[in-house]
Amino acid sequence: MTCPERQEQMSAYLDEELDLTSALELERHLEGCAACAGQLAAQRALRGAIAAAASDLRFRPSAGQSRRLHAAWRRAAAPLAPTAPTSPAAPLASTSPAASAPGRPGTAGQPWPRRHWSQGRGWQRQWGLQAAALLAVALASWALGRSWPAAAPPVSEEVVASHVRSLLAGHLQDVASSDRHVVKPWFSGKLDYAPAVVDLATAGFPLRGGRLDYVAHRPVAALVYQAGNHLINLFTWPASPASETGMPLAASPQASTWRGFHLLSWSQGGMTYYAVSDVAASRLRQFGAVLGERLGRLDPH
Amino acid sequence: MPANALSEGWFAIAKSTMPTAAHDGRTHDRDRQRRFEAVVLPHLDVAYGLARWLTRSDQHAEDVVQTACLRAFQFFDSFQGASARAWLLAIVRNTSYSWIEKHRAEELSTPFEEEVHTPAAGGVATPEPEAELLRRADREMLRAGFAALPVPWREVMVLRELEGLSYKEIAAIGGIPIGTVMSRLARARRQLQSYLTRNGARGTPS
Repeated sequence: MTCPERQEQMSAYLDEELDLTSALELERHLEGCAACAGQLAAQRALRGAIAAAASDLRFRPSAGQSRRLHAAWRRAAAPLAPTAPTSPAAPLASTSPAASAPGRPGTAGQPWPRRHWSQGRGWQRQWGLQAAALLAVALASWALGRSWPAAAPPVSEEVVASHVRSLLAGHLQDVASSDRHVVKPWFSGKLDYAPAVVDLATAGFPLRGGRLDYVAHRPVAALVYQAGNHLINLFTWPASPASETGMPLAASPQASTWRGFHLLSWSQGGMTYYAVSDVAASRLRQFGAVLGERLGRLDPH
Repeated sequence: MPANALSEGWFAIAKSTMPTAAHDGRTHDRDRQRRFEAVVLPHLDVAYGLARWLTRSDQHAEDVVQTACLRAFQFFDSFQGASARAWLLAIVRNTSYSWIEKHRAEELSTPFEEEVHTPAAGGVATPEPEAELLRRADREMLRAGFAALPVPWREVMVLRELEGLSYKEIAAIGGIPIGTVMSRLARARRQLQSYLTRNGARGTPS
């Protein structure tokens, strides 16, 4: 991010509307960039000046305007009062010809209808959206339900379900960053282990971010990588005795496929890894190979 | 003549809301009216504040708020949200924009999305004096600076700096993404900053 681009961040930072990750990153940048630090000081001074003058800058209706606004409202609402005439003709006839003041009750005789066309359409739209969302979830559940062979190992099933859910619910990442130095610290305090986070952009798999998920009866780290137009979810958690997963995982990535979703699973450096995607199987194997190689460099054992 | 514009508004509403069936359920109407008075009318002051900054006229702001208020009552059944203030402000904002389109369309056609001012290179070299200058900006200068902002920027600045709304509320009111709120505020502040730096330099320090 260039310094001019950080201007937008600074403004949101001062408003305390910048997400924590970006705020920390900006703070780190400000420590080493005098130009941005100076600009922040200027923006802070500007805010101070506006805050000091805010009560003078803010407009409020005068007493007279307030009176007129409320009077106009009362006139508009008057036909609804119990004593008001029910015939629309009567109040129209009684409208003063001199009523040129704001709030002239030209419509005073028309009871406000309780239904308006746009309201009806709004409801239809809302129901339509909800129905579509329900249908999508139902179809996806059905499709997933029938696509798994009955003998699918439970963890693989969970992992694929998590992958699909992350795409369905639009909840792909809790921390969106391609910087592993941002993604990795984000997990600390949320998990009782530190997942290895490596960026594979040079190999064609840029890091998109990370999120917390729940797999194999525990909170796990899910890292999201981009592979062309596809996404890869990489789940990782400390390897546990074979009893939990049913069988010990191999040290090299093992591929499996469940109707369109490809999986890789392996155990490395004391951690369990599951990669899931709808990308081509060969591409996912390539991902597993590159990742395994990088992880091996991090931990030679 | 503002009263004319106002009556036009009234008649437009009258036409669009002609009763189609015999009126029943008066108790319902009275409840609705009471609810409206309790939930929406307390925000008339803020509504005026926004309309006044957008139309830059006392009289027009009053007309806009009145029209918006009636429109709000007309659509009141569709209001289910949590914030009546944001809901009313959205209607006031739209009413104000309709007014500006009709009477000062040139204000909206001014290109504003491009970079208007990047901070002066000199300001970067000597940041402290600039901060000092901005800190001294008095309310007249600030008022002029706000008024000089393009309408969409002025709108977000008024809602944020003067009325203290969150980005989320401002986004809902303007019907724009939060990212747009963020960039408009940043650009508005930058323009205000350079306006004050230019004009403050000429003025006499207090």
